[in-house]
Amino acid sequence: MTGPRFLDVLGRNPSAAVGLALICGFVALAVAAPLIAPYGPFEVAFGPDRSVPRLAPPSARNWFGTTNQGMDVFSQLVWGSRVALTVGLLSALGSVVVGTLIGLVSGYFGGWIDDVLMRLTDVAFGIPFLPFALVVIAMAEPSLGLVILLVIFFLWRTTARVIRAQTLSLKERPFVWAARAAGAGHWAILFRHIAPNVLPLSFLYVAVGVQTGVMLEAALSFLGFGDPHAQSWGIMLNAAFRAGAMRTAWWWVLPPGVALSLFVMAIFMVGRAYEEILNPRLRAV
Amino acid sequence: MLALEGLEVRYATRQGEARAVDRVSLALAEGECLGLVGESGCGKSTIARAVMGILPPNGRIAAGRIRFRGQDLATLDPERSRELRGRRMALVPQSAMNAFDPVYTVRAQLDEAILAHGAMAAPARAERIAALFARVGLEIARLDDYPHQFSGGMRQRAMIAMAMALDPDLIVADEPTTGLDVVVQDQILQHIRSLHREQRKTMLLITHDMAVVAENCDRIAVMYGGRAVETGDRAVFERPLHPYTLGLCNAFPDLDDGGRALISIPGAPPDLVTPPAGCRFAPRCPFAENHCSEAEPALLEVEPGRHAACHRLDRIEEFRRRARDPDTWQTERKS
Amino acid sequence: MGGFRRYLLRRLAQAGFVVWCILTIMFLLFKLMPGDPTAIFVDNNFTEDMIQRQRMLWGLNDPWWVQYLRYLRNMLLFDFGHPFFQNESVAEIMLDKVRNTCLMIVPALLVSVVFGTLIGAYAGWTRGSVFERAAVATSLVLHSVPSFFVGILALMVFSYQLRWLPPGGMVPLGGPDTLWGMLASPDYWKHLVLPGLVLVSREITGPILLLRSSMLEVKGSDFLDMLRAKGLGEGRIVVHATRNALLPLVTYVAVMTGILFQGQVLLEIIFAWPGLGRELVQALTHLDFPVAQAALYLMALVTLALNLIADLLYGAIDPRVTYE
Ligand SMILES: Nc1ncnc2c1ncn2[C@@H]1O[C@H](COP(=O)(O)OP(=O)(O)OP(=O)(O)O)[C@@H](O)[C@H]1O
Ligand code: SF4
Ligand SMILES: [Mg+2]
Repeated sequence: MTGPRFLDVLGRNPSAAVGLALICGFVALAVAAPLIAPYGPFEVAFGPDRSVPRLAPPSARNWFGTTNQGMDVFSQLVWGSRVALTVGLLSALGSVVVGTLIGLVSGYFGGWIDDVLMRLTDVAFGIPFLPFALVVIAMAEPSLGLVILLVIFFLWRTTARVIRAQTLSLKERPFVWAARAAGAGHWAILFRHIAPNVLPLSFLYVAVGVQTGVMLEAALSFLGFGDPHAQSWGIMLNAAFRAGAMRTAWWWVLPPGVALSLFVMAIFMVGRAYEEILNPRLRAV
Repeated sequence: MLALEGLEVRYATRQGEARAVDRVSLALAEGECLGLVGESGCGKSTIARAVMGILPPNGRIAAGRIRFRGQDLATLDPERSRELRGRRMALVPQSAMNAFDPVYTVRAQLDEAILAHGAMAAPARAERIAALFARVGLEIARLDDYPHQFSGGMRQRAMIAMAMALDPDLIVADEPTTGLDVVVQDQILQHIRSLHREQRKTMLLITHDMAVVAENCDRIAVMYGGRAVETGDRAVFERPLHPYTLGLCNAFPDLDDGGRALISIPGAPPDLVTPPAGCRFAPRCPFAENHCSEAEPALLEVEPGRHAACHRLDRIEEFRRRARDPDTWQTERKS
Repeated sequence: MGGFRRYLLRRLAQAGFVVWCILTIMFLLFKLMPGDPTAIFVDNNFTEDMIQRQRMLWGLNDPWWVQYLRYLRNMLLFDFGHPFFQNESVAEIMLDKVRNTCLMIVPALLVSVVFGTLIGAYAGWTRGSVFERAAVATSLVLHSVPSFFVGILALMVFSYQLRWLPPGGMVPLGGPDTLWGMLASPDYWKHLVLPGLVLVSREITGPILLLRSSMLEVKGSDFLDMLRAKGLGEGRIVVHATRNALLPLVTYVAVMTGILFQGQVLLEIIFAWPGLGRELVQALTHLDFPVAQAALYLMALVTLALNLIADLLYGAIDPRVTYE
């Protein structure tokens, strides 16, 4: 995973290079949102004569036109990148951390701990993801935090299984025996010797986490169960869909949809390239 | 019956074209058994594949001919070549472990081998398959098993049965005993031997094992780095003419009086994409001289029926003596 | 076969345990979280007496464990009670919705699996060809684009701009409502084209990528050489290779069907397809809990059943699998 090797992979995978550039673009957009967006996320873009420009097509004033409430689509899009990145990153980190911990503990200690944890993953695998998320959100107050928790709740299972398998094979390696012989305690072995070796693999699931988080937020918001205080791409699509903008205002529908697609695709492509670095066997294929 | 004339096979690789077989000429008369020996990677299987007409997609016959009963297999059209495979010539492959399709029964695969070459009524096929199975000493009840239910030895027997399905004239056996334990190896070799001795099949037998060749073959060809370096009858192992054959014999026990330490040849086989100039063995040959890496030695008839490709054939007696001394092979060659 | 029976029993027990867990989680969600369900449609005109009568009727005054056991029994017997806002029983409504969902995903799945397999197998067989590269690149893009946006785009272009296809729904009101009636109705097919193609555009990528890579793996196996050496023609060899490459697909398709069954919520909303997912969303919007509960439960059951089938099928088609 050294630098040159990474560059090498990017060179062979132009799609990953494009993906990385896109992600950098989205990050820049999110960080500099207040500087880039001419209006606030819920601000009406009053015209010069204080009129409300409802469903105005793209113009020099409103690059991507306006919504039926006279809000600036471009601004909303820029603010939306903040929501996407926040949800994506937090869900990814959360699910990877939880999944890795459970996988490590389950694989290392084995026995009844392993049994209980693995039955738990079975249950997690049996719950239908999107419908369950819908029900939970409908019962509680929709909020970004809840979305993130739900993603974590659903994604830890995959990471946990993979990390568990890896831990099972690692704990039989000579260096673990050596550490044990030298008198290292269980937790020291687990975190100092085994964890560093599974981390690259856990990292693979960051991409999956970001993708799932962003997609779930968009899907829930689109279905009308989004956090009304976060102007996300999903919320934009929901508003546009309900206002019938598909017939009348393409400029309102396309930007959030395209942004969402590009973001998810970029993460996917970079994730694939990373997988290739981890597992060189894929390269030949 | 089978004759390779200046055969050259190349594989396209990332590094360039690898000349896995380079200008090899060999002849095999009706009913003869030719043993092909040499280190791993010297091109033995490639010759087998070229003869069978099953080179992988990145491999091609770049020059030369393969004469089989008067036809040139190198230029034969694919459909005619397919008709020969399995019917006139059959392969006993290197890795019987994986040579059966795992998802079909053994019977289905034998059946298919027969069906590929024309219609035969189902009862006749079943009878033939049962007879083949009996001949290689397998229980007929096991015919409907899947390959993974067979042991390695049983699979190799079944492979021999399949090779015999249409009573071909030529059998190409590519290391038929690799990966089997010693007792099973013996049994498999018995069957191979009987194919040759009793059924008078012409045979191309490829192996690492010099003892097997010495025991079974009428003629022997030693390959090194894609080239045939020495050919002849059994005397090849008794009185080698080529330094590489000397080294090869040293690395195997029991070919002479025994009680001798095994000596392996240091170094690695040559790169086939950019082979060394001159004699390919020169970088590893303890007797190499400057001239050796400049001009390539030709395969010359040294005695009646014996060919070798070495510049220093005149000193072979001295080499044979020195080859016994492990130190000869230890000394680093100065370039 | 004794080994298989033990394996089956173990898997069934496992599935039963998961169902119980899911039911319990749902019980907690629906009974405990939202507070008092009567509050939803009680308005000021209700007297305290009427409210109490309603609570008795629903058994809400019983101790929690009586409610829990009754709930478990009802769910296991598919007795979902009556919806708050409709007359039919929930079970009847569910049956209709499950059928409608199947009417959308089954044809799309069939098309995806058949064509995906052919394309993927061919791509793997002709590795390095332009066809292979195009198939892989297209699949990767289609695989990563959110399909609900593809659905929105398709609607915008084909229904609103070009007006080629109806913008949503399944059959017009008063149209056929039996399964065979639907299948025979041109209206159904016309409404299916757009959502069906959007589904295919995503679902076909799985079989393509899977078949291609498993074909590549099979292509490296020794037994193909032997098939050639036997004198088989190219056609027979491709059959052998595909038969081997198909093994992982069986599991994949079963799992994919389960995921589709719970995951087509978005497309059903976008195309106003009266399926199980749309019913769930509407029930949640109206806080119609019996319906939502039943929909979620059915989705979980179908997913579990398909996962189980996937495992069993794998053993059936690969002779190397043993259950010892
Ligand atoms: N498909 C291929 N593509 C590229 N190179 C190949 C291919 N098959 C074989 N080679 C190369 O050609 C050379 C000869 O291979 P071959 O299989 O004929 O060796 P061999 O003498 O049979 O060795 P072994 O005793 O290990 O079976 C080797 O260097 C090998 O790496
Ligand atoms: S030609 Fe020279 S290098 Fe080659 S085998 Fe003979 S003596 Fe050795
Ligand atoms: Mg070989």
